[in-house]
Amino acid sequence: MSFNVLIVDDSNSIRAVIKKIVLLSGFQMDNCLEAGNGREALELLADNWVDVIISDINMPEVNGLELLEQLAKNEILKGIPVIMITTEGSDQRMQEAFARGAKGFIKKPFLPEEIKKVLYDVIGVGKDGQYEEDTRNADELDF
Amino acid sequence: MANMKKIQETLMNSIFEVFEKMFFVFLEPFEEDIHYDMMTSIRFSGPMRGEIRAYLSKGVAVAMVKNMLGLEPKDVTDKVMEDCVKEALNMISGNFLNKWDATQVFDLSIPEYEKKQGKFEKDKPATLSLLFESDEQYMGITMNLEPQKQ
Repeated sequence: MSFNVLIVDDSNSIRAVIKKIVLLSGFQMDNCLEAGNGREALELLADNWVDVIISDINMPEVNGLELLEQLAKNEILKGIPVIMITTEGSDQRMQEAFARGAKGFIKKPFLPEEIKKVLYDVIGVGKDGQYEEDTRNADELDF
Repeated sequence: MANMKKIQETLMNSIFEVFEKMFFVFLEPFEEDIHYDMMTSIRFSGPMRGEIRAYLSKGVAVAMVKNMLGLEPKDVTDKVMEDCVKEALNMISGNFLNKWDATQVFDLSIPEYEKKQGKFEKDKPATLSLLFESDEQYMGITMNLEPQKQ
């Protein structure tokens, strides 16, 4: 199974670095969409399905916290996990992001392993980038 | 005014951390006047408010882009350099403010950039002024703190 990822950051360079890290981490990425701010991200999401969003906070027009707010209001988009990756590292800002629905938080500057760990935790894949196989027998599963 | 020595140490730690972690550029403190080719600035507000500026020689910016994005020097455009140095200052400022007091919320502006040459004097008037060298390429950083509004 492979995933569609949306990277939202007003820096082209940071988007390129995150994309490279995700690819090199072994994560099964199908499409990688990019947006320069929250408004562009919402426009892309109107026509494209993504499995995870990696977003900065401090961006022009619509910032990362406003993007979280818009996603939460949308019945279709509100289930998409969002990882914040930002210089805004105060405890309060982090709590604010989680309260608005963020599922992960990474502070810039970051190490590649930090992105891999948070991404894999949020998506729920194992160390090899694949979903863990459920080895239980059907009889053991409680439907 | 906050303890200047502590501010200087904290800011230097943030500069080293960002340059080493993101750009694989290892800076050394420098003690002489430098010439720069570009300047980027960012404002911050909150319990402490002011502005941080970075003055870079082209060689530092090229090394940052080359190392971070894996580009050949011929592929390093002015646009990519601008993007990289603005993001570097954004990260330095956020990292510094977080190290200074993670319990407080600070707001950062969107960084501004100007391609202009000039001389950065080691005793440049500012609340705080720092100079760095890496492979005979240079960077100056100033921080100006403003009095809190009552």
